[in-house]
Amino acid sequence: MILPLTIAVIPWGILAGSFALDAGLSPLESQAMSAIVFAGAAQLVAVGMIKSGIGLTSILITTLLITSRHFLYGMAMREQISPMPLKWRLTLGFLLTDELFAIANQGKQHKLDPWFAFGGGFSFYVGWNIATAAGIIAGQSLPNLDSWGLDFAIAATFIAIVIPSVKKPSILLCVLVSLVSSLMCVLLDIQGGLLIAALLGMASGTLYAKLTGEKT
Amino acid sequence: MIWLTIISMAALVFASRYLFLEPKLPVRLSKNTLTFLSYSAPAVLTAIFAPIVFIQEGKLDLSLDNSYLICAIVATILAYTTRNVLLTTLVSMGLFFIIH
Repeated sequence: MILPLTIAVIPWGILAGSFALDAGLSPLESQAMSAIVFAGAAQLVAVGMIKSGIGLTSILITTLLITSRHFLYGMAMREQISPMPLKWRLTLGFLLTDELFAIANQGKQHKLDPWFAFGGGFSFYVGWNIATAAGIIAGQSLPNLDSWGLDFAIAATFIAIVIPSVKKPSILLCVLVSLVSSLMCVLLDIQGGLLIAALLGMASGTLYAKLTGEKT
Repeated sequence: MIWLTIISMAALVFASRYLFLEPKLPVRLSKNTLTFLSYSAPAVLTAIFAPIVFIQEGKLDLSLDNSYLICAIVATILAYTTRNVLLTTLVSMGLFFIIH
């Protein structure tokens, strides 16, 4: 599970590096984005906004929206991680990505081994940063890297994470509503479409579960 | 300006990841809020990947020429039948790089 997700991170990291460069960031800034922010989706969306000349406030609101799923991951892992010493909490907190959340919540083990979580999280971090560096280098010599379709890696990873999580009709409805509304927002050129689509999906799922008395 | 963006984004992302790992935080989320939040991962991830798959050059593309769509369908079938992340990501990405 750690290996495939590290592999899946690579094309996406290359894209993040070359895309940042393409948006006008310096190589150092492009690398720093991956090294300090370490959030694939947020980085790609923010870099796109920087390229379009959108202001910092809008970028941060969008970042908050994209990163808000980490509040949920934190809540879900609170029981396991909050009793750990500060250095583990800070380390695992920094490394808490979709991928780490996915590997830490596989199987039924109740006790999370911090070294296992660290091994996975750090592997994603290293893979992400090496791939970003490769993207920065390639982006300088291969200007049309964005036509290679590296962004499919994002779709493949998220499909691999989302599909197995659809265990109840309300989650299926949530996914379908989010899917259709995200497309509508992009096609109609609506700002903040990601936020709107995600909230609509979440509200639909919650409402459906409430109305049908679905077990949580 | 770029550095300010990077550092403020980093602070925001880290805060969102760390907040609920802090034992001193008195968590008092209602059951309804938690239920609502439990849909955040599938909703957000779907809203990120759907436009990549379905929209090409600013237009909805449901044709068989859309290699993103074909490979996403393959990934969906693999993820649903095998529930194996390795297989799903590798096979669909491999197929994509062949046909794209």
